[in-house]
Amino acid sequence: MSKPSPEVYEQGRGMDAHNKVMRDIRAKKDKTYDPHEPTRVWLDEDNTPDGVYQSLTIILNTGGCRWARAGGCTMCGYVSESVEGGSVTHEQLMDQIQVCLDHEDENADEQSGLIKIYTSGSFLDEREVGAESRQAIAETFGDRDRIVVESLPDFVSEEKLEDFTSQGLKTDVAIGLETATDRVRKDCVNKYFAFEDFIAASEEADAAGAGIKAYLLMKPPFLSEPEAVEDMKRSVRRCAEYAHTVSMNPCNVQRYTMVDDLFFRGGYRPPWLWSVAEVLEDTADADAIVVSDPVGHGSERGPHNCGECDDLVQKAIKDFDLRQDPSVFEQVSCECEATWEFVMDEEASFSAPLTR
Amino acid sequence: MTDYFEVLSRDGAARIGELRLSSPVTTPALADDHVEDAGSLWSEEREVPEGDDSVLTVLPHRAFPAGTADEVKESFRVDYPETDYPSVAVVASDDAHDAGTDAYILSDAQGFVGHASAFKDAIIEAKESLPADTALYLSGVATSLNVATLVYAGVDLVDAKLAKVKGLEGMYLTSENEYFLEDLDELPCSCPACQTPREEFTRRDCAEHNANALRTELAVVRRRIRDGRLRDYIEGQARHDQWLTAAFRELDQQYGYVEERTPVIRDSELAAATSDSIRRVEIQRFAERVTTRYQNRFKNPLVLVPCSAKKPYSESQSHAQYHDAIQFRAHTVSMTSPIGVVPQELELTYPAQHYDSVVTGEWSEDEKRFVAEVLKRYLQRNEYPRVIAHVPEDGYRDICERVEAELGMEFEYTVDEHPTTTESIGNLMRTLEGELKFTKREREYNTIKAIADYQFGDGAGDALWEDSEIQTTSRYPKLQVRDTEGEQLAAMVPQYGVLSFTLKGAKHWVESDAPTKRVEIDNFAPHGSVLAPGVVDADADIRTGDEVVIEGPKAFAVGRAEMSGPEMTESTRGVAAEVRHVEEK
Repeated sequence: MSKPSPEVYEQGRGMDAHNKVMRDIRAKKDKTYDPHEPTRVWLDEDNTPDGVYQSLTIILNTGGCRWARAGGCTMCGYVSESVEGGSVTHEQLMDQIQVCLDHEDENADEQSGLIKIYTSGSFLDEREVGAESRQAIAETFGDRDRIVVESLPDFVSEEKLEDFTSQGLKTDVAIGLETATDRVRKDCVNKYFAFEDFIAASEEADAAGAGIKAYLLMKPPFLSEPEAVEDMKRSVRRCAEYAHTVSMNPCNVQRYTMVDDLFFRGGYRPPWLWSVAEVLEDTADADAIVVSDPVGHGSERGPHNCGECDDLVQKAIKDFDLRQDPSVFEQVSCECEATWEFVMDEEASFSAPLTR
Repeated sequence: MTDYFEVLSRDGAARIGELRLSSPVTTPALADDHVEDAGSLWSEEREVPEGDDSVLTVLPHRAFPAGTADEVKESFRVDYPETDYPSVAVVASDDAHDAGTDAYILSDAQGFVGHASAFKDAIIEAKESLPADTALYLSGVATSLNVATLVYAGVDLVDAKLAKVKGLEGMYLTSENEYFLEDLDELPCSCPACQTPREEFTRRDCAEHNANALRTELAVVRRRIRDGRLRDYIEGQARHDQWLTAAFRELDQQYGYVEERTPVIRDSELAAATSDSIRRVEIQRFAERVTTRYQNRFKNPLVLVPCSAKKPYSESQSHAQYHDAIQFRAHTVSMTSPIGVVPQELELTYPAQHYDSVVTGEWSEDEKRFVAEVLKRYLQRNEYPRVIAHVPEDGYRDICERVEAELGMEFEYTVDEHPTTTESIGNLMRTLEGELKFTKREREYNTIKAIADYQFGDGAGDALWEDSEIQTTSRYPKLQVRDTEGEQLAAMVPQYGVLSFTLKGAKHWVESDAPTKRVEIDNFAPHGSVLAPGVVDADADIRTGDEVVIEGPKAFAVGRAEMSGPEMTESTRGVAAEVRHVEEK
């Protein structure tokens, strides 16, 4: 099996075009970040195969995603949330971890059982986080129950994951698969790897005794609402064979992205929250925990319904995340469901968005 | 190659067409029930469907929504397969290209509908890139409020998707507004959906009503196109939404696009009822031709008179009075808003006898400026021994004085209070005392030649015929031109005020230095109509209604253009010209 890398995969007309456009868009942003501070850190609750945990989520500033420097994903604005120049030293990374621990001390009564580390890139890419830092971070959180680290599939290896499993941590690799449909991932998202790379990564993880948490993206650009829902239903089911948890997240409109350009010109609408509910309800029988965390729900730039029912539907989604009981969706209804149903029946990519 | 769409008639950029499905559909129309989507290639690999002639098949496509970067369009552009059934290609307005299909959907319509300038740019760019005889389809954007303007700009197909969505969202649509359903105590419509009592009227009913309203509006629009009167309607209806008014004004600024598509003659009324009428192609074209093509051949003084509501002017009571006072001693030119000036020889020429304007006696500054400009240019081109202004106060006098000042001329004014008072008529009569009368022959020759100038180009009247070569017969307004042996060369058509040639006349026209418009045809002798596929080449400046020479290896003919020159060369269907006379070679 081939080992894909951003360099090799930046080929083909479509990807060249996407990358060039994304580079131009990103060039408009000129903001830099302090390498001693994490990009973000917050406390939350998460559903895992062992039940619901308090979680500490860390977005490390590691110099950013190398794929994004080539151009990167059409909806992703996180690339800009990286330090200039690109590399962050071991000391700086450890400073960032300390800031996160302090944040937890100040805001939580007890230690979080679950630690989630994202980097806007790949935590397992040693050009972002060196082996020394990875091992130190594994040790720092060795007394917790679970850890989730984010990575592109190419960087997942049994050996790296053993740094965590050897601490006795239940370990998951979070992979931004976005969709199980290679065509959509490549042409709409502009991600370079294939579903089979995801499968290979899951095998590496399995060998290390780690699990996979797959991240899916609902409604990348160029898809109509019904196409997006169909893509997610199919993707959740295919992922469930390799991942114990699937996080299916509706696209939101981030600044300095291709999605933002389309949105600005009237060519993109984030998905309906009804669509999120539809997918969760439909795939409730899939053999995985399926969750969704709609960011910016109810706003123009985030997943939204009519404005009246957004909070209610978001609440139902959150409830489903924790309890995995689809009957919660029977308890929410709104007049705008008829509009959404019509959109599901009638919207084509050449008439989208039918409504804002 | 267009096999399943044919343009039947035109009114500016708007047209009546026929989707030649197994059950034909007259366009502009709702496409909902006549379209089958083979699906998007963004989400899945797709097979080219079997297809059949009962529906328009949207071929597997990659839609580029509004805001898609050029590089992305370029690299993901779909090569549409050739099919033998009715098909539609999906293209972006600025990336439109001939895909060999019968219709085209513009994938970025959501981005430009609602924005006048972007709308104008998108439609013009797409129309200029796509074959003329294919249908333009905008999906998911039409409402009863905007559809007349969409069609006016050149759209042939729309659907009811947006109208229904808006209904489900609680918006009640009419041709004059978008209402919040909850604000309506009474439904301003009597369509079947609106028979439901108000308190039982749901959003689903509202969606149904919106679709009905859109269907009704499309029927109105079709009627208007057939009558050649869509523009009159637009000037009123588009007023109900600012962007629509802005849209047709933007199109008015694109003279080339609209002019190419506007017939040179019509036998229908032209209502000049708004301040926008001045910018219509028909009005601008008349003013332009009168000031750049027409030339006065009379040696007599000029009498400027106000227009009359009755058309042609000479049939009005007031003009009969002026005529009695002038008695062929002066050249009469009518001043009018919004046409400008109308020399007596052109009083029948479209749109001079076809327009009707709103007369209150109050002139807007726009009207005054326009008429003054036309009169000024007219007088710069045509010299007169004297200019007598038999015009009332109000706007007319003001305009005359402006032109006098600008040109450093002196007009003689003969009106006291009103132009038809005994005193005014007496003044006019006395002013012309001692002036010589022109003859009937002079009058008839000058009329024929003036029309030729107007119709064919500067100098055409003189280039066509020396006075000694012709004679005129029959009575005005059905004058006939004959050669000295009595053979007919041309006739004046009273409904439009233009000339039509006989075969002999047409041959003479071709040999003369007068500009001609030519349609080159294939190896056949046309009888009745020349169809577009038979056209090998056609002059680009041919307009619908133009007198044209039709020639090919097998035939020489003369007739009238039924489409523009560019359309003739691009089209694979439709009637290009109607043949009046033909001679086989």
